[in-house]
Amino acid sequence: MESSELERFEAVVLPHLDAAYTLARYLTRNDHDAQDVVQDASLRALRYFHGFRGAGSAEGRAWLLAIVRNTAYTWQRQHRADTLTTEFDEERHSESVADRHPEAAVEAGSQRAALRRAIGELGPEFREVIVLRELEGLSYKEISDVAGVPVGTVMSRLARARRRLEEALCADPEDC
Amino acid sequence: MTHPAFEAQLDAYLDGELAAPDAAELEQHLRACPECSRLERRRRALSAALRDQLPRFPAPDTLRAGVRAGARAEAGRRARRRAPSWGALAVAASLALVAFGSRQLALRGAAGEAITNQVLASHVRSLMPGHLTDVLSSDQHTVKPWFNGKLDFSPPVYDFAGAGFPLVGGRLEYVDGGPVAALAYRRRQHVINVFLWPADRGRTAGPRAATRQGYHLLHWATPAYAYWVASDLGLAELGDFVALLQRGDSAAAATVR
Repeated sequence: MESSELERFEAVVLPHLDAAYTLARYLTRNDHDAQDVVQDASLRALRYFHGFRGAGSAEGRAWLLAIVRNTAYTWQRQHRADTLTTEFDEERHSESVADRHPEAAVEAGSQRAALRRAIGELGPEFREVIVLRELEGLSYKEISDVAGVPVGTVMSRLARARRRLEEALCADPEDC
Repeated sequence: MTHPAFEAQLDAYLDGELAAPDAAELEQHLRACPECSRLERRRRALSAALRDQLPRFPAPDTLRAGVRAGARAEAGRRARRRAPSWGALAVAASLALVAFGSRQLALRGAAGEAITNQVLASHVRSLMPGHLTDVLSSDQHTVKPWFNGKLDFSPPVYDFAGAGFPLVGGRLEYVDGGPVAALAYRRRQHVINVFLWPADRGRTAGPRAATRQGYHLLHWATPAYAYWVASDLGLAELGDFVALLQRGDSAAAATVR
C-alpha cells in the first residue's frame, strides 16, 4: 500500500469513526465489544479499500458502516456463548431500578431512560435502522446498502420499529 | 386513501422518501382524517425524541489511535510483502495478516490483558530513579550491539533525535515469559518506552490501544516483531512517534537482502 493510499484511507474512514462506534455500541450494547468491532472493521475496511470507488463523504460513511455492521454480526455469532454472561451494564441496571420504583420513572429524564430501554429491547435488525435513520440521518437507499436489504424492507422495518417504540413508550394507550 | 395504506406510507412520507404525487395524496388525506393526523403527530414526536435523547457515542481516543496504528502497521506489512526479496518471511506475513483480524478478537481475553499489564508495570518501573536504562547512550550503534549475547535476537534500534524523539538508551525486560528488548526515548520531559520481541514467539495480539493509569499503551505486530509502546505523551505525538518507528522498520525491511 502506498503511503498516499494510506492517507486517502485515513481521510475516508477517520471522519466517520464516531458514527461507526455509535452503531457498534448499539449493536453490541457494550463498550469493549464495540471498540473491538470498530478496530477489526477498520482493518477489514483497509483490506477492501482498493475496491472502494466512492468519492463523497456520505459514500465513505455508508461503506464503513456496512463493514462495521457485518463485523458486529460476525462478532455476535462467534461470541454468542459469551453474550449470556455480559459484563455489568450500568444503563441496564440503573433502568431496572426505575422499573422497581415507578415513581422514579415520573421524574425528568425518564423518557430518555424509557427510550434507551425500548431501543435495547428491539431486535438488532430494527435497532440498526433506527440508529442509521434517526441518529445518522441516512437515506433509505443508504440504509439499504449498509444493511444489505432492499429499500422496501428498510421502509417496513423502520415502520415496525417505530410502532414498537411508540407502544413501549405509552404506559397508557389512551393517552397516545 | 385507506388507513392501512396510509400507515404503510406514513414513515416514508415523514422521512422524505415518498414520491411527490403519493405525498400530495397523503397530505390530502391527513387534512381530512383526525385519526391519521394524530398518528402523524405521534410519529413526528417519536422521531424528535429519538434524535434528541438517544445517546451518540464519540469514538474514544484510544480507539482512534488504535485504528490509525493498525492501518499503518497493515500498510507497512503490505509494502514489505510486495518486496520480492522478502522470501520466506512472506509466509509469515500472510499468516500474520490472517491472524491480524481474528486473533485480535480472540486474544483480547486473559493473555492480551496479561501482556498489557506487564508492559504497563515495566514502563512504570522504568520511570523510577535509575531504572530507565541498562545501557545509556543516544547512539544507536552503541545500543544495538549491547543487546548481543543478552537476547536471542538483534532488535532494530533507531535514533529519532532529528524528529524530536532522541534515543536515551536500552535495557532488558522480561515480558510474557521471555526476555525482551526495551528502548527508551524522550520527548521533552516525557519518556517513551518501546518493547519488542520476535513475532514468532506467538501471543502477539492484534493492534490495540489502551490507557491505563494515565499511560497510553499501543501495540502492533510486524512479521518480524511484536511491538508495544508505552508513554504518558499525548496520543497525537505518540502516534507520530509510532509512525516514525514503523517507517524505520519498513525502510529496514526494504533494504534487507
